[in-house]
Amino acid sequence: MGHFPLVRFVHRIVQHSRVAQIVVLVGVWGLGDLATHVLNLPVPGAIVGLALMLLLLGTGLLRPSSVQGGARLLIGEMLLFFVPAVLAVLDHVDWLGSLGMKLFATVLLGTLFVMLGTALAVDLSYRWWVRHAVR
Amino acid sequence: MRLISRIAGGCVMLFVDGLFFDVFWVMVTLVAYFAARFLYRRYPRWWLSPLLIAPLLVLGLALATHVGYGAYFHATHWLMLALGPATVAFALPIYEHRAVIRRHWPVLAIGVVVGSSIAMGSAWGLATVFGLSDALRLSLLPRSMSMPFALIVADDIGGIPDLTAVFVVVTAVIGVAMGEILLKWLPLTSSLARGSLFGMGAHGAGVAKATEIGGEEGSIAGLVMILSGVANVLAAPLVVFLLR
Repeated sequence: MGHFPLVRFVHRIVQHSRVAQIVVLVGVWGLGDLATHVLNLPVPGAIVGLALMLLLLGTGLLRPSSVQGGARLLIGEMLLFFVPAVLAVLDHVDWLGSLGMKLFATVLLGTLFVMLGTALAVDLSYRWWVRHAVR
Repeated sequence: MRLISRIAGGCVMLFVDGLFFDVFWVMVTLVAYFAARFLYRRYPRWWLSPLLIAPLLVLGLALATHVGYGAYFHATHWLMLALGPATVAFALPIYEHRAVIRRHWPVLAIGVVVGSSIAMGSAWGLATVFGLSDALRLSLLPRSMSMPFALIVADDIGGIPDLTAVFVVVTAVIGVAMGEILLKWLPLTSSLARGSLFGMGAHGAGVAKATEIGGEEGSIAGLVMILSGVANVLAAPLVVFLLR
């Protein structure tokens, strides 16, 4: 494909500009969203887009270096994109009292259980794997 | 101070439905975000996390000017559109660390399944024990996932995504602090366990923390976060079925 001047031109832009890389990511997301709607898939468009992107990378149609910078930027600045949703607390002044304490305790204890359980399960299964799979 | 807030509030009220109002709150959000990031770079303490400070800065101004959530969200909600392409961007870490997945997939799968089950089970159980309403309980279920996945799952299972967003942020801030403490106490021998502790327990912020501990921990944390997010979105219909 590298013989066509237009493909090479686009390729060069995408290699050097993170904005162009984000355009590629937005395009793949759009395709995923379209596929979800047209094919009536039970999976959200963003997830179909993620799968599509993996396919593009796996088949070599798209080089990792063509989206790397843009992908890092989007993931790194993700907080900016969800600040609007977090401001939902504005409507919940009632959380300042005992309800807020209960919610906090739920999140605190829940996170403790998740971390303990996940770390121990992974560590134990990894030790088992090391003992049995590797000689 | 009260006078200033009343004048500011008055100015803002003049433009409540106008373009000025929308642009103003988008600017506020941007400035708060970059200020919080700058602050954290200078003073990297867990309680100064931009996750906490950026929303708090916006919150302070919104309270001072008597702007409700509906109006604020209406002005800034389109920022959230970027979460879609950000989800697609998660394909890159998966692709880059495909060798790790191929080598450790059984262990990673155990971590994802055990972690996700505990996350949802504990939220359900604790919310029931504390007598929280159904809407809150459902919104609490996806709180251990990375934001884009959590919002999708919250919507799928009948929770309120905006409330989930709040719980996701609180989880991340608490999780980073708790993870550091747990790491000192737990006899974890593998970077796999250290990484999945942070990736499963504190998603995005946890991945950043795990990266500080070690490169391998960071990539494991990122993988566990993304894989559990995808797994949970795909398993959401099952969760809906179990909740019936």
